[in-house]
Amino acid sequence: MIEIHGLSKTFTDRRGDTVTALDDARLDVAENEFLTLLGPSGCGKTTLLKCIAGLVPYDSGTIEIDGRPIQGPGPDRAMVFQNFALLPWASVVDNVAFGLRLRGVARAEREERARELVATMGLAGFEKKLPGELSGGMQQRVGIARALAVQPQVLLMDEPFGAVDEQTRRLLQEELLALWEEQRPTVVFVTHSMEEAVLLGDRVALMSARPGRVAELVPVDLPRPRARGGGPDRSGVYAELTAYLWDRLREMHEEHRTVRTGAPA
Amino acid sequence: MTRLNARLPYQILTFALFAAAWELYARARGGLLLPGFFETLRATGALLAEPELWRALYVSNQALVLGFAIALALGIPLGILLGRFRTLERYADVWLNILLVTPMAAIIPLLVMWTGIGLTSRTALVTVFSIVMVIVNSRAGVRQVDPSLIEMARSFGAREREIFTRVLLPGALPAVMTGVRLGLGRAVTGMVIVELLMISDGVGGLILEYRGLLKAPPLYATIVIILAEALLLISAARWCERRLTHWSRTTATRANLAGSPK
Repeated sequence: MIEIHGLSKTFTDRRGDTVTALDDARLDVAENEFLTLLGPSGCGKTTLLKCIAGLVPYDSGTIEIDGRPIQGPGPDRAMVFQNFALLPWASVVDNVAFGLRLRGVARAEREERARELVATMGLAGFEKKLPGELSGGMQQRVGIARALAVQPQVLLMDEPFGAVDEQTRRLLQEELLALWEEQRPTVVFVTHSMEEAVLLGDRVALMSARPGRVAELVPVDLPRPRARGGGPDRSGVYAELTAYLWDRLREMHEEHRTVRTGAPA
Repeated sequence: MTRLNARLPYQILTFALFAAAWELYARARGGLLLPGFFETLRATGALLAEPELWRALYVSNQALVLGFAIALALGIPLGILLGRFRTLERYADVWLNILLVTPMAAIIPLLVMWTGIGLTSRTALVTVFSIVMVIVNSRAGVRQVDPSLIEMARSFGAREREIFTRVLLPGALPAVMTGVRLGLGRAVTGMVIVELLMISDGVGGLILEYRGLLKAPPLYATIVIILAEALLLISAARWCERRLTHWSRTTATRANLAGSPK
């Protein structure tokens, strides 16, 4: 479904230094797969996601979706943002309908579809509210509804639950699982939480920093549906996997520290 | 509106104190050139019945309306472009700074020399006085639009034109409206100053005339009427601002914007 080969991307930071975010990264995502992208901060996982979204141009390599190379943002993909990125002046319905409006869907149709999704996300009764009047969890439900409204083949999620409190995060994770298990869109989900990566993903793509690439693909052998009854059993496979991922991440952090201190000043 | 009503008693109280102090001072000092508060009120009433006042207001406001309209028509697009395209700033910055810091009264003689003593130069002065507030606030408005909203719009396929109309313009509107309100205040100032300093016409001309004739009560009354007009215009601008940008009070986005209303 999504095929990424040899993807490299360098930035120039404020001081004019070149920073390598991605170096020869490769990744395949299967149709209907829920893939979580996990890695230490600064490993380029968000950059990789934004490359797939077509928001960030890359230096070399290819990204193909169903064999077609991507050229900028497209209707086959929709993104959910960490900071929600809702229009503060637009009502819940208008925010959910925003993508449809940009795609030229007629007013009556886009409002109907937006209202349905608002109800699906448990926000019925809040249609006319402004984002500033909603809690963080509700705002992200609007963000998810907006992405689903355009019926994308691929849902790209950039640490979508990173800005909400722990309890809200649990609720949102369960809601997302239920939604995914019902509709089975292809999802690429960036997170810095081992628990979240294991809870949600079919596979966890573990990224390393310097070079920014996928270091390991870890299959998550947890039965679905995982949404019911407060999520899967958190002992057994779940505990083993999160422990393993943390071991790997800690190694990466330590390597990083040695490289830093070992380098001449 | 509830906030306005809640503040009203305090405003009435301070105004009453001011009026009382004025009246007491005028009575204690006496003299022809210092009418008391009540005498000024009477003179204001009398002046409102004079056709001469309405002619002067008409003349002055012609320049105000034209000059301010030009300031908005040029200033808002310019400010928005400067906010969006930072490279333009290199060209514009020095001129904006000149407009911001120059004592405008000093350039009135130049304007008069260039454009003559007529509606043109009075209009031009009102524009020059007010445009910088409009530009600077519009620019700040565009700058403070959350860049992640632009990224979001792009991710849903928005082109540059749609980013302008759907994200930047609505996002900048509160700050633009603040610029309109602050610019309006400066426009009224410009309108009166040019008439006082160079072109004796309109309400400024009326002030000069009454001063020359040592007619203190109508002189004071003219000033009261100018103040009343300014207050009225600014209240109207604030009302529009509140109506158009209700949403900005649901978020903290503009807490640190200069001159934003609470």
